[in-house]
Amino acid sequence: MPLLKVEKVTCGYGDMQVLTDVSIEVKRGEVVSIIGPNGAGKSTVMKAVFGLLHPWSGRIEFDGVDISRHEPYQIVETGMCYVPQVANVFTELTVDENLDMGAFVRSDDQVGDRKQQIFDLFPRLYERRRQKAGKMSGGERQMVAMGSALMLDPKLILLDEPSAGLAPKMVDHIFERIVHVNRSFNIAVMMVEQNAKQSLQMAHRGYVMASGENRVEGTGTELLNDPDVARLYLGG
Amino acid sequence: MDAATLSKGIFIAVPLTLLGLKLIPLKAALRLPAAIAAGVVLGIAIVAAMPSGGMSYLVSFTTMASIYAILALGLNTQWGFNGHLNFGIAGFFAIGAFTTALFTTAEPTGVMANYTKQAFGLEAPFLVGVLAGGVVSGIIAFLIAIPVLRLRMDFLAISTIGIAEIIRLIFQNERWLANGPQPLRGIPRPLDCLVQDQGCAPGWLAWLFGPLEARDYTFIYVVIVTLALALIYVALETALRSPWGRTLRAVRDEEASAAMNGKNLTSLRIQSFVVGSVVMGLGGALYAHYTVTIDYSHFKPLFSTFIIWVMLMLGGSGNNKGAMLGAFIIWGVWSGTAFLTGLLEPTLAAIHPSLPDRSSYLRWMLVAILLAGIVLFRPQGLVPEDKVVSRFLGKIANPRRKQHSQV
Amino acid sequence: MTQAGEGVRAAFGPRPGERLKAALQTRSALASVIALFFVLLIAAGLVQDASAGRILSLFVWGVMLGGVIGLGGIGLTLVYGVLKFPNFSHGALATLGAYIAFSTVAYLPKSEPIGPFSFGWELVAGLVIAMPLVGLVAIGVDRVMYRRLRVQRSSLVLFAMASLAMAFFLRSVIYLIWGSDFRFYYQGRANPALDLPLGLRVQADQIFILLLAVVLVTLVYLLLEKTKMGKAMRATANNPELAQVRGINTEKVIAYTWMLSGALAAAGGVMYGLASQLRPEMGFWLLLPMFAAVIMGSIGNPRGALAGAVIIGVAQQVSSAAISPAYGPGVAFVLLVLTLLIRPQGLFGERS
Repeated sequence: MPLLKVEKVTCGYGDMQVLTDVSIEVKRGEVVSIIGPNGAGKSTVMKAVFGLLHPWSGRIEFDGVDISRHEPYQIVETGMCYVPQVANVFTELTVDENLDMGAFVRSDDQVGDRKQQIFDLFPRLYERRRQKAGKMSGGERQMVAMGSALMLDPKLILLDEPSAGLAPKMVDHIFERIVHVNRSFNIAVMMVEQNAKQSLQMAHRGYVMASGENRVEGTGTELLNDPDVARLYLGG
Repeated sequence: MDAATLSKGIFIAVPLTLLGLKLIPLKAALRLPAAIAAGVVLGIAIVAAMPSGGMSYLVSFTTMASIYAILALGLNTQWGFNGHLNFGIAGFFAIGAFTTALFTTAEPTGVMANYTKQAFGLEAPFLVGVLAGGVVSGIIAFLIAIPVLRLRMDFLAISTIGIAEIIRLIFQNERWLANGPQPLRGIPRPLDCLVQDQGCAPGWLAWLFGPLEARDYTFIYVVIVTLALALIYVALETALRSPWGRTLRAVRDEEASAAMNGKNLTSLRIQSFVVGSVVMGLGGALYAHYTVTIDYSHFKPLFSTFIIWVMLMLGGSGNNKGAMLGAFIIWGVWSGTAFLTGLLEPTLAAIHPSLPDRSSYLRWMLVAILLAGIVLFRPQGLVPEDKVVSRFLGKIANPRRKQHSQV
Repeated sequence: MTQAGEGVRAAFGPRPGERLKAALQTRSALASVIALFFVLLIAAGLVQDASAGRILSLFVWGVMLGGVIGLGGIGLTLVYGVLKFPNFSHGALATLGAYIAFSTVAYLPKSEPIGPFSFGWELVAGLVIAMPLVGLVAIGVDRVMYRRLRVQRSSLVLFAMASLAMAFFLRSVIYLIWGSDFRFYYQGRANPALDLPLGLRVQADQIFILLLAVVLVTLVYLLLEKTKMGKAMRATANNPELAQVRGINTEKVIAYTWMLSGALAAAGGVMYGLASQLRPEMGFWLLLPMFAAVIMGSIGNPRGALAGAVIIGVAQQVSSAAISPAYGPGVAFVLLVLTLLIRPQGLFGERS
């Protein structure tokens, strides 16, 4: 049974339809990358999965439970977390407090150990734990955002363009950390990326979206080698 | 039919004719005679049918509702057409009223000077006073606009509440200016002499003014006020359908793109704020000449800011017809509920002996609930905004305008 | 500002005019203008033959008034921060608190005054009853009005309008229950001023008000900094969408915010009633100083609101040496406009 099952979901904002019959699956411990051009509806899929939008039709199942009508705070409790692309840290809160908010739905006695694990994963955050997140660089903010999401000890983490706007060196670092998180904590990852090549290289499987539909799916290598995908979405 | 009925009926015919001009669905050339005919017939019929107490109530109701309609038009120019959240209408209302009072009264002399103090008294004619009320209100609005209008909408709301409070505090505390906490009395009633015994009415109009007694003055004033309302309405409609008015709405809806098109936003925003305040000042001036006596307590937030917002929100912001309709309905609700609380008095007394004295606050509560209901269930009001692009182009069918979602 | 403009600026640095403008918009510029305002106020007072001792007393009373404004202001700033609209009914909540305490005092048997104060334990009981009760009223109003507007994603304007409606609604309720007369917690009880060194004359009640404000503000500070719910409030104020994403039940946070805001407003109202008298409009008079304090102290910042409140309170009191005390709200308004002109984000806000 897949961990996450998006089944023929149609939805949008207000009365503007964005997604048409999108189906996506994520298995336990898997890294799934969704690529596609701007406006393909990649981020909308994330929002629908996370309960920020409710599907008009179709069904979303997580860990065997139908979550189509759940609110985000209920979805968090089931063990899924989401890192938005922008405004993904509390700028007025310190790093420490940001991490605390990540574990908001967990009881306090679980928080200490977990925080230590996050600091091990991102040592930079430990150095700066008393600093306000708003005063940090883009890469550091991305670490805070991922760290807060991981505080939950989730089964699945949704990443919306984790590399957007970062320096190339920082992109490599963040991707390396994502792989690390996936392997050593056995957390499934579903991510949306502009940086298609790099994200397909690290993904177990990938989906190509266009105009609100999923067009092609396959393993990361299959998609990388698919001539159509390469021509249309990987820039030759 | 006696002479008084005929005479009063003719006065009542004026507001009815104005209403008819707006409502009768005929070509322009036919509309005026039709409206006059209908107005005169209806006017005389109403006067003949109503008991005289009811008639004078109806006349004073129309006068007050028209004054409120002028204030609502002023607010609509600011909020409905340009998005200024002015919570300080009372301030401009008060400035208009006190300005005309100072312009048209005489400076007290002799013994009176001990009781009434005022900065000056010019004994100017009614029209000069009213226009001065509008102008001074506009000047004050301009001075306020420069620092305040660049601000975010919520800051503007807070600031305008403050402005109204301070204007009221000044009129309350500065005895030298307009008699401070004491009322300022004796504001002249225009054309008052027409209804006096040794009247100034020309002989050939004796049939019209002769039957009126001094207490029938309201019949003259209702004509003055409704004519003023009609004039202001026509002027504002013309302005709002001009390129200037279109730009105002563009600024309200799409501030950024209006700026891209090279419009000077700050200047436009100031203009609409000042125009709205001038209209409010005119309303205040007309109010002063109606009540004859004014003091600071007339300009508290409930009656001079809050209720006008309820009127505009009910009628429909962005629509001048809606603003006037809202003013008449809300003033009707307010006046009508006076009877209601009278009826409720035995019930209230049964609940608690002191409640009947406080029953007027039930009406406050009702108006507050009404506004809450409008905000929750019909924020676009009874008459939503027309998308009129130009007077040459007629209306564009666009029923689904987003309610100020951009602002 | 267009992108081309940004580019030019990046290439050539800020133009001199802009540099000057930026310098005028700094925190220190605002602080110096406020300081200058105070110097002028004191000078005006001295010109009007007020003694230095009197001005010093006014200063101390001002700090006390600042405590009252601050209690209300903290609640106002929390709601402003979390829900992003100016709550014009906040003054009415303060008034409601004062009247609930009044009824409690009237109902309970009168005990002897506590120590040097003018009031007995029944006023303390009134305070303890009024605070949660007003908090519940605030939550109730939210359920009926503001939550529906949130669900409809209404614009800020409709929230502001709704709060104006609620201000008049609550005031009409107060008029209906308690009437329009002046009220005192203790009719005709003397409240002599204590003679302190330096010619200071201060009532014991005033010291109590200040102490209560300090204690409550400290508690609020601890709540916001140390507890999970407090951090969640700050997080929600900072970024409501992300708070939802992190699994924070924002509706619950909002309910707590209203409870806190209403309770503090009630405390402010009770204290204001103790310092002067009770009238149904008392909260409306507090509204302008409270907003001035909130904006000066940066919206959403409770400590800033308290600091702003003390500045406003002192300015209002000291001004009465020079001009009629009736113009207190006018002084608050001048400070508000100065803040908005120089630095709308306030003394403690970050540059946006």
